Amino acid sequence: MPRGLLQLTGVSKRFRRGAAHDRLGELILSGCRRILGRQRRRPVDSFWAVDDLSFEARPGEAVGLIGPNGAGKSTALKLIARILRPDRGRVDVRGRLTALIEISAGFHGDLTGRENIYMNASILGMRKAEIERKLDAIIDFSGVEPFIDTPVKRYSAGMQARLGFSVAAHVDPDVLLVDEVLAVGDVLFRQRCIGRMRELVAGGAVLLFVTHNLEQMQSFCSRAVVLDRGRAVFDGLPNSAVAHYFDALRAQLPADTSSNDPSADAVVALVVKSVEGCAASVVSSEDPIEIDVVLRAARVYRRLAIEIDIRRELGSCLANFSSIRDDQTFAVPSGRSCVTLSLPSLPLGGGAYVLSALLRDAESGRVIADSGFRYQLFVEDGGRPTGILCLPHEWCYTDANALRESQRDDRASRPSPGVLIG
Amino acid sequence: MSVVGVTTYDPVTELWRYRHLLVSLTVRELRIRYKQTVLGVAWAVFVPLSMMCVFTFVFTRAVTLPDSTDLGMPYPLFAYVGLLPWTYFASGLNGCVNSLVSHRNLVTKVYFPREVLPMSCIGAAFVDFLAASFMLILLVIYFHASSDWSFTLRPSVLFLPVVVVTQTVLTVGLGMLLAMANLFYRDVRQVFSVIIQVWMFGTSVVYPLPHSDSWIGRLAFANPMTPIVQAYRDCLIHGRLPDAPSYLYAVAVAVIALVVGWACFHRAGFLFAERI
Repeated sequence: MPRGLLQLTGVSKRFRRGAAHDRLGELILSGCRRILGRQRRRPVDSFWAVDDLSFEARPGEAVGLIGPNGAGKSTALKLIARILRPDRGRVDVRGRLTALIEISAGFHGDLTGRENIYMNASILGMRKAEIERKLDAIIDFSGVEPFIDTPVKRYSAGMQARLGFSVAAHVDPDVLLVDEVLAVGDVLFRQRCIGRMRELVAGGAVLLFVTHNLEQMQSFCSRAVVLDRGRAVFDGLPNSAVAHYFDALRAQLPADTSSNDPSADAVVALVVKSVEGCAASVVSSEDPIEIDVVLRAARVYRRLAIEIDIRRELGSCLANFSSIRDDQTFAVPSGRSCVTLSLPSLPLGGGAYVLSALLRDAESGRVIADSGFRYQLFVEDGGRPTGILCLPHEWCYTDANALRESQRDDRASRPSPGVLIG
Repeated sequence: MSVVGVTTYDPVTELWRYRHLLVSLTVRELRIRYKQTVLGVAWAVFVPLSMMCVFTFVFTRAVTLPDSTDLGMPYPLFAYVGLLPWTYFASGLNGCVNSLVSHRNLVTKVYFPREVLPMSCIGAAFVDFLAASFMLILLVIYFHASSDWSFTLRPSVLFLPVVVVTQTVLTVGLGMLLAMANLFYRDVRQVFSVIIQVWMFGTSVVYPLPHSDSWIGRLAFANPMTPIVQAYRDCLIHGRLPDAPSYLYAVAVAVIALVVGWACFHRAGFLFAERI
């Protein structure tokens, strides 16, 4: 049953940079100047927060919206939610729309949890009878039942988020917009929220999900749109979207000046080579690879240690290779040289990873150069699992007869539980 | 797929769909106001009652009204019948002025018809008005029993709901204009606090306005609150219907205020989240 539908056609929103006149006095002054003809019209300094954004989400689709800070994600949600009006283009929404842009927006600290449920639910467009019908389910889902008659100002941030999400999740929206609101809840609650969103999507709702948690996005969304400086730079599969997201992030990294300065220590390049020995940007998880660290030393180092990190996002480290831990240091002359790390295989799931290297002078323990998060490693995902690890494995099938037999064997060979307790 | 069933509503239908929110916000407004207070809703009675005492002192001990003025009722009662609707008007508008600005979080993070914010402030003021009305009944009984003035209930009381509605319509219209104006220019709040004081003395709240052809007299009668406050006294105490021309004038001003106020508010609504 097709329910929600969301369609954006060339939606654009312009914001003014700097402050407009905010005081009546200024307005009157500028008005007078204009009448006297002395007003030079101040050039309006504006920028497009969302620029020509078009996409469509069909019933039962969960779309991730990702991008660096300030890319226009929240503005896009506000345009869809009718909080802001687009300067150009149009937004078409079919069905009941619920936007979770700030989870505790409707909360008032002096009111109890229960009172705030009524309040928040009616802000989200629920009727009184509907709220009363769902009240128990909402309280139950939030897990803050013991404190439901306590003023919300005494709640922790996580408890407020739980209550806020519980209300929104029970509105039964046809289109649900979620803006990075799950970050405060604990893992268990986050999973419960994801589960609830999956239910809604399975029931035909459209979900638009803004997040910086790319793993969550990948595991949950069937499609992703990458925004960068107001423009949609990619619309497609989540895995590929992540790569574009990193491109957008990398563009914001400050230019590495040290590698241009010939007298400074630097990681000049990180080159990933496949088994044939040629540089490859995409590698297979089963084949051996080599990583060349091309470095430049400003002076002679007698004991140079190298560390290489492979990361999933610009955060969690998946693998760390440290030459000093492996009791290896390298004597390097001043000038260019290269250290190579060989791996028999790279058992990673398909997707984009970040590769970084740092150089450490083992004698002083000082870090002398750091590549930063500039280099990327793509692992091809030809039908391979989408998790982080790609572990060697095999499957085996046991039919019912064999199962019974093995159970009989088990019972015969295993001591009964009573014996264990005794 | 072609563009399908886009749901847009006119402001009245939209407001009707969100009527539960209006009730919730009104209740919340009251809950917040009286939470952690000892007297609770008794404060709604306390404000006009204390004003009544002050003005009774001023106009019977400090200065005396000219002998020719015939109030037709004991002065405290005259003052209370005036202060009761005036407090509803002034505290309703006072809430409206800040209603959008003080709910910044709601305005910038959630969609709903923004009209409910000023309207809920007036709703809360209306509940206070009802609570304070019980005091009026007690005062009428007291003065009926203790002085030579006597009260008779006349059918004109039935006209009171019309007066209350007229006043509410005027308040809602002005309230929306004030809420919106204060969102764009915070000066409005300061200006308003002065104007509402002056306005009270330009309305026959605590003393009868002299009929005069001076410009002050004409200005006082251009003030739609004068016939409204007068209508409360007429219907309730004097037992007669209000003076038709001046009352109809007040109704006309109230309707114009509502239409203009709501239209401006609705048209500017899309700017609120940006400019707050």
